[in-house]
Amino acid sequence: MLSDRQSENISAPRKRIRELGIRLGTMEPGLHNAITDVEGVRVGHATIIKGEGQGATRTGLTVILPHAGDIYQENLFASYFNLNGWGEMTGIAPLVTTGKLQTPIFLTGTYNVGIVYDAATEYFLKNHPNLAGSDEIVHPVVAECFDDFLSDTQSRQISEEDVFRALEKAQSGPVEEGVVGGGTGMTSFGFKGGIGTSSRKVGTKYTVGVLVMANTGSREEFRIDGVPVGKEIRGFEYKSGKTKSIILVAATDAPLLPFQLKKIAKRVALGLAQTGAISHTGSGDLIMAFSTANKIPKSRSHPYLKIKCVSDFWITPIYQAAVEATHEAVVNAITTARTIIGRDGNTAYGLPLGQVKDIMRKYLRIRAGNHE
Amino acid sequence: MNKLLKNTKDRKIKKEKYRPGEKNSLTDVKGVKVGQFSLQKDIQDKSGRQAFVRTGLTAVLPYPMDREMRLFLGCSRVNGKDEITGYEVLDDFCYLNSPIVITNSFNVGRVYNAILSYGFSLGRVEIWPPFVIGIDDSYLNDLRMGFLEEQDILKAFHEATETKVEEGSVGIGLGLRAYSWKGGVGTSSRVISFGFGRFTIGALAASNHGHELSLTEEKSASRENQTRSGSLTVILGVDLPLVPYQIRQITSSLVACLPLMGMASSRSDSINCVLFTTANAMSMEEDGPEVFDYQLLDDSLLEEIILAGSEAVREAIFRSLAKATPVGGRLGRMLETIPEKELHNLFQDFKGRVAE
Repeated sequence: MLSDRQSENISAPRKRIRELGIRLGTMEPGLHNAITDVEGVRVGHATIIKGEGQGATRTGLTVILPHAGDIYQENLFASYFNLNGWGEMTGIAPLVTTGKLQTPIFLTGTYNVGIVYDAATEYFLKNHPNLAGSDEIVHPVVAECFDDFLSDTQSRQISEEDVFRALEKAQSGPVEEGVVGGGTGMTSFGFKGGIGTSSRKVGTKYTVGVLVMANTGSREEFRIDGVPVGKEIRGFEYKSGKTKSIILVAATDAPLLPFQLKKIAKRVALGLAQTGAISHTGSGDLIMAFSTANKIPKSRSHPYLKIKCVSDFWITPIYQAAVEATHEAVVNAITTARTIIGRDGNTAYGLPLGQVKDIMRKYLRIRAGNHE
Repeated sequence: MNKLLKNTKDRKIKKEKYRPGEKNSLTDVKGVKVGQFSLQKDIQDKSGRQAFVRTGLTAVLPYPMDREMRLFLGCSRVNGKDEITGYEVLDDFCYLNSPIVITNSFNVGRVYNAILSYGFSLGRVEIWPPFVIGIDDSYLNDLRMGFLEEQDILKAFHEATETKVEEGSVGIGLGLRAYSWKGGVGTSSRVISFGFGRFTIGALAASNHGHELSLTEEKSASRENQTRSGSLTVILGVDLPLVPYQIRQITSSLVACLPLMGMASSRSDSINCVLFTTANAMSMEEDGPEVFDYQLLDDSLLEEIILAGSEAVREAIFRSLAKATPVGGRLGRMLETIPEKELHNLFQDFKGRVAE
């Protein structure tokens, strides 16, 4: 039985943290406050919601196309940081060795990885008959979180068509968040989790955008802007079992080399920490960072390519942007996620936004008279 | 030897593809200087015990040290038992801001400090972090007594030259031991010709490894050989514009190449392989520009650099042994120059260019 308050919450409209009048950090977000504010980055979702009760499926796929062109033809510098390795992100060994991202990034449920990997390979082969020579092995980047609480994961209800659909629907502009794509069955900090995104402008030159698939953290850990929201919230308890993993992807148009992108990925971990996450032993907390500034053509006619690279001496504001955008992306993943009833009637509640506002007001994060 | 082993041995890479540079030395890479200081003395310690000091340092100065400049640098290690200062910056920022010095483990602090003194005396604001590799030369050298003085260390920096590197039992090479024979310092270089230009990769090796692998039964039987772990340190410089991920690909491949090139090492050896590039250098005058322009070499050309580099590494190690003169030291120990036949056996009949 749901209490009145809980019933009300189920139908309440979902909002982003900024729409509640709460500003995280000090830097300004980009136009859409999304990873797509980094020019060329596109995001697509395939959401799979099927059945009720036993065998119900709440899963999906979110794909990030890293630039406006063809990532297979023009690679980007990228790196990765493994905050806690109890998770899967395929394609990482070649990515680290070659310093380059060569495929879209796919985010999905744990047991979907093989199917998505296969579909990504198929998509590549279909669209690039000439790149499929022996020298052109492509290793798709497919990352996962375990959506077992809400979804019958063992039935693996995702298909090649779903993957192609997400790729075809990928677009720039505002990004749908919460219960969508790979985030459909995710839970986080004792509430419904999912996909979240945010961005920051670094002066007038650069943008950093972050997109997360959040399925990690315990309720009592959850903090927004330092406020222990998870401890303060009342009601909406459920036995979620364990929450598992978070995948975080940072994009920037600042020209950075792979070793610098690794440092960005580490700052993303710091942004995650600002949400109170402590990276549980069973949480696969994997972080990828890429830069769209230097495009490295797959086939090159000249032995040299001129590239640019921000001096480490001046890089700190980009770090700050990564931390702030990550904090907000994770919070957005939770504030935008609505209540979902999934497998075997398991229910994950959307974070009660009315309570959040009250708590943030109590801690002086919303000034009196500062309405949404 | 069983058949499989024999076949493996036959398959080792013997032929060379690349020609050495003019001096066949790390200093063939333009702008790179090497300076060395050897410390050899027989003294009595406080208790009246005879002490034999057989140590020194070998310093690579990859660019004019009075300039605020950084070079990209990478390193691959196996069995990291040796101290490498500056490693955190190397690991995270991938740059070199100092000379690279190989000395013995107990002198690391002194050399570290002397690098700072040297930089400050040249007016450098930032000659940090000092990059010092400390290796164990205590087979011959009495570590407790063999401390380098700052003026000796500075002398090596001031007298560093672009001439061919002195090889064998010199600098840090004085007290080294490899394959149960006298080890030392060796150098070599290779020229890589691409359609768009000629480039040089140079190597400097400090051989202090392979103790388990004595090639004579009498030596391998000794307990000393079984228990002591050694290390092989290789510093490479190249003038091709590389970026850090490429440098790491090359160093890790070079480490993997060592056995293929006939350079067997012991199970417990540490291997330190460091590569810097003098191209894509970062000028940090007035804190440098906000954005650097680099050249990115096509990854498909890395293969050639690895092949040329592995030849230079092999010959540098070969020469470190071939050029090493006999040195006696602690506990009445004596290390002789490796006999020619054994040297060629060890290197799978690779002949080197010792006469040149």
